[in-house]
Amino acid sequence: MRNLIVVLGLMLAPAWADEPYKEYTSAEHFEPHVSGDLQLTGTYRYWKDPAKLDLRLAGHPDDSWKLNWKHMDYPFNKEMHAGHLALDRGLTLFKKLNRSGTFKNCLVMYRLNGKYETSLRGLRTAFPAYRTDLGRVAGLEEVIEHCAALEGEVLQNGSHDNSAVSLYVASQSLGMPIQIDVSSGPLREAWKRGERLYHQKIGRNNMSCASCHVERVGQSLRATVVTSPYGDVAHYPVYRDRFGITSLHIRFAQCSLELGFNALKPGSPAYTDMEVFMTALTNGYPVSVPSERP
Amino acid sequence: MHTIWRVILVAFLCGSPLGYGYTPGEMMDPKIPTKTLMPKIKVDSGLLEWVPYSVDLSPWPTLCVDDPRPMPRPKKAQYVGPLRGDAVRGKAIAMDTQRGNCVTCHAIPGEEWPGTFGRDLRHYKQMRMSDADLYQQIYDVRTSAPRAVMPPFGALGILSDQDIRDVVAYLQSLE
Ligand code: HEC
Ligand code: HEC
Repeated sequence: MRNLIVVLGLMLAPAWADEPYKEYTSAEHFEPHVSGDLQLTGTYRYWKDPAKLDLRLAGHPDDSWKLNWKHMDYPFNKEMHAGHLALDRGLTLFKKLNRSGTFKNCLVMYRLNGKYETSLRGLRTAFPAYRTDLGRVAGLEEVIEHCAALEGEVLQNGSHDNSAVSLYVASQSLGMPIQIDVSSGPLREAWKRGERLYHQKIGRNNMSCASCHVERVGQSLRATVVTSPYGDVAHYPVYRDRFGITSLHIRFAQCSLELGFNALKPGSPAYTDMEVFMTALTNGYPVSVPSERP
Repeated sequence: MHTIWRVILVAFLCGSPLGYGYTPGEMMDPKIPTKTLMPKIKVDSGLLEWVPYSVDLSPWPTLCVDDPRPMPRPKKAQYVGPLRGDAVRGKAIAMDTQRGNCVTCHAIPGEEWPGTFGRDLRHYKQMRMSDADLYQQIYDVRTSAPRAVMPPFGALGILSDQDIRDVVAYLQSLE
């Protein structure tokens, strides 16, 4: 098998030189902080403080997009929905997985502020993170899958139960600002790759994420209006009526199919790069779960 | 580079085209008619299901960083008149989300919730655009506007020559 790969590699080596033709939406300046939205859409001032949203906007069909849907987030939206049930299940699953305490130790194995943390508090705000045990940058759901496997349980990345545990872990950081550092190291590299992917025009419509989330914010596609990409990660995993408990990578898969290209498996390096990029755009915004989105 | 080598390259870089279980992986299954899979979240389960998707998206590059499949370059259409388009068919194509899909981005007569990405087309005839220019706008507008958001329906092979003629006839009928 290895020989085959080497032979193929040699045959294909010249192919590297010839970059496949793709277009890129011209790159806007992105800030790794939620306030960067003020340069992009300017709507941040309406949803900056989740406790003080302007409800008159919510009732306005032409203007409600300016709230970036934040009126559907907990604790502003206290209505009962399936996200709450999933959070309860997440707690039950967590207790079961953590019978011997090793599951939690596996999850919290990361450095925040230079010291090893022992509590779930704040954990959500520091993912994706570079994990020495995996040797790569990984999102919370990927780490949940990995740590559950060490306990002999299968919690596939993107599955309902994986997202339920993720939701429970996120709830332990409720109200705390997302805070990942993309200024250096592997996270910087991931941010840069993610930013490039965000502008790459591909698929059956020759569109990039930026074609809509940068160039057409506030415009509608039939009845849905495109909103800012800043601040979105704070409410994931999110409950979507038609799909169920949706992790960010599952959302990427759904976006991909809608835009006209194949989905990748949750946990794929490209999705993790996109997650790093979008999480950095949420830096400084409080974790708000459980939430719902159409 | 030959297509078959591109496909094999994708297999190595972005997972296997033979389906499940590869990380990283493009989610497709060559044994089903559309080859394309979509995730299905099963309540209270640790397994993620993948079920057939309605459209075959396997020719297109994915979001994978090193996907070597190229996108079609901007292309000038070889339009020759007369138009010979069928406006009734054209309207159906414009409303069909899997074909022209114009209504998702443009106002079209008879649609209550049209999109606002592009101009209102409800009185398109008043713009007095030539058939040839409108044909090229739908076929591939990147030849004159490289940064356009509107999909190049002809260059991507989404609409055929006759489809585009029909849509042109429809738009030119909107007084
Ligand atoms: C054709 C336009 C279009 C394109 C292209 C597009 N999106 Fe979206 N996206 C939307 C619309 C409309 C919504 C729903 C309203 C909103 O939240 O902006 C949405 C929602 C989202 C959400 C959910 C936001 C939330 O609040 O939960 C994410 C995440 C997202 N898009 C990511 C992407 C990514 C990643 C890409 C590129 C692969 C992409 N989008 C490309 C139109 C688009
Ligand atoms: C994904 C959104 C989208 C879809 C789908 C779409 N368009 Fe467009 N269209 C646009 C945008 C945006 C523009 C403005 C220029 C640009 O950025 O591409 C435009 C421009 C146009 C124009 C030029 C109008 C002018 O200002 O002169 C015409 C004509 C047009 N579109 C027709 C169509 C037809 C016919 C279809 C269906 C076959 C269609 N469009 C599908 C987004 C779209």
